[in-house]
Amino acid sequence: MAAPAVTLRTPAAELARPSIGFWSDALHRIRHDPVTMASLAVLAAMVLLAASADLLAQHVFRFTFTQQDLLRTWEKPTLDEPAYWLGGDNLGRSQVVRVLYGARISLFIGVFGALVSMGMGIALGLTAGYFRGWWDDVVVWLVTTLSNIPILFLLIMIGLYFRLDALSLSILIGMLGWLGIANFARGQTIALRDREYVQAARSVGASAPRIMLRHIFPNIVPLMIVLAMVDIGGIILAESALSYLGFGVQPPQPSWGNMLSGATAFYFKGPHLIVVPGVAITVTVLCLYLVGDGLRDAFDPRLRGSIGVSHGGRNE
Amino acid sequence: MGRFIARRLVQAIPTIFGIMIITFALTRLSPSDPVTIMLGNNPDLTEEDREELREKLGLNDPLPVQFVRYVGDTARLDFGTSFRHNRPAIEVIGERLPNSLQLSVASLLLAIVVSVPLGLIAGVKRGRIADQAIRGVSVLLHAVPLFFLGLLFVLVFGVGLGWFPVGSMNVIGESCFFCWDRVWHMAGPVIIGATGGIAFIPRVLRTEVLEILGQDFVRTARSKGLRERVVLARHVFRNALIPIVTLFGGILTILLGGSVIIEQVFNWPGLGRLLFDAANSKDYPLVQASVLIGSLLLVVSYILRDLAYAWVDPRIKAG
Repeated sequence: MAAPAVTLRTPAAELARPSIGFWSDALHRIRHDPVTMASLAVLAAMVLLAASADLLAQHVFRFTFTQQDLLRTWEKPTLDEPAYWLGGDNLGRSQVVRVLYGARISLFIGVFGALVSMGMGIALGLTAGYFRGWWDDVVVWLVTTLSNIPILFLLIMIGLYFRLDALSLSILIGMLGWLGIANFARGQTIALRDREYVQAARSVGASAPRIMLRHIFPNIVPLMIVLAMVDIGGIILAESALSYLGFGVQPPQPSWGNMLSGATAFYFKGPHLIVVPGVAITVTVLCLYLVGDGLRDAFDPRLRGSIGVSHGGRNE
Repeated sequence: MGRFIARRLVQAIPTIFGIMIITFALTRLSPSDPVTIMLGNNPDLTEEDREELREKLGLNDPLPVQFVRYVGDTARLDFGTSFRHNRPAIEVIGERLPNSLQLSVASLLLAIVVSVPLGLIAGVKRGRIADQAIRGVSVLLHAVPLFFLGLLFVLVFGVGLGWFPVGSMNVIGESCFFCWDRVWHMAGPVIIGATGGIAFIPRVLRTEVLEILGQDFVRTARSKGLRERVVLARHVFRNALIPIVTLFGGILTILLGGSVIIEQVFNWPGLGRLLFDAANSKDYPLVQASVLIGSLLLVVSYILRDLAYAWVDPRIKAG
């Protein structure tokens, strides 16, 4: 009787797993996280719809965002005519079209404002944490001062003095929203600046900018991406609040916030005019926060619950 | 404690200085000329009249001189004169401030009453359905704009069901600060204001509970045979509640910032509403005074928070 053919498998061969890098590992985790994937899909759809607002308005809804139809004011949502899928407003304008153009404004302000605040926060936080000394004192002083001013108060005051368009509004909100990011970047930099590998880089003569950009910054990139998601959401909320009050994006340009600014008149005649823009803001911001949380868990499961929405609080 | 208080007060000076630089700079950078704002385009006034007013207001002085005068005026509690009310801005603000504080304090209390049990449950039942649900609700509350939540509240409970009044502080003809009528009118704004805190206090408490559950003294308490209930109540919860004190300052920021929104939605005549109206009627001195006073309130609330924290947790004083 022949001995059964047994192929010997070494434990090592069984355990061997192709080594993968940080980013592909994170990608793998995200792919298996249904909540994050669903949120990403919603956001992608939102961006796509916002980007094709012109096309959709022309060819599907056949309505511009300023076009009025005074015979159809307060039109309830109806399936009969594409332009009134989500109803008409107090001037008979198509709410679908206005929500689409509002998405453009909100997403643009959110993303651009986040770029500004991330840029400022990272630059100030990194340099303050690395150089310490008087520069650190200045940055900390700025952070304390700004965090002691109610931001919405300040935005209203600025809105009163200067005429703001979408671009200047996003820059402005970004310039006031970098505090949390700077704090975080500064703390991380202080923790890393005396590590051995940074000392090694310094001892072979690397310049300060090089150390900051090549040796410290890459370490905080993953967490900065998480904070960016939260930041975009917070800025969209801040913009909508400001526009709701009438000091943000000015009509006739529709934004999700200013569509709600006459809302008291809508209570009886058109509740859909309150619900639609409000839900649009909520869903967008919620998806951004969920993606932020998902990315955080994907980058480093140990961080679960440490930063992100549960840490930051509202941006108002 | 005396030294701690003194140190904390001194620390506030540069912050107040910074706030004043910002409010001052904004007013001076503004493209609108204060004299034109005050006089309008009245054709009866000659250029000499305008120049005279400018000189009288000190607008021709160098900026540093103007700034020093601004600091001096503020120190004497002179915040300028409101255009619209034609009275000192501080008087107008002083009338509205109690209404805002009443709303903020009530919202704060409600937020804590709701959040503390939620946070403790989430921490103890980590990973269970209750924890997941609390986490979900907190993310959702973060994402909803306050004004949308407020409008929905009015739409459903005010206009739809008629349970709560749609706006203002008292029924017509009545005017009282502490009474059931006021409580009834406050319900809406307070519930909406509290959501700002409910969105994040439970998460903070949960983290705190989890951290304390891993401490040695908890293991000791368990190993000497204490019932789990006693361990939680005496050892875990008492320690976990310490940081609630630190949250006061942060929540006040949210409440004050949100006050413009909430007072606007519920038509509540407080500081936020005053700022809104002042900005709409281009009452520049009143806007400037509101921003400055709102910021000073925050500075004071942060100081009180730090003192309270040092009082509850003596380790802080050393640091």
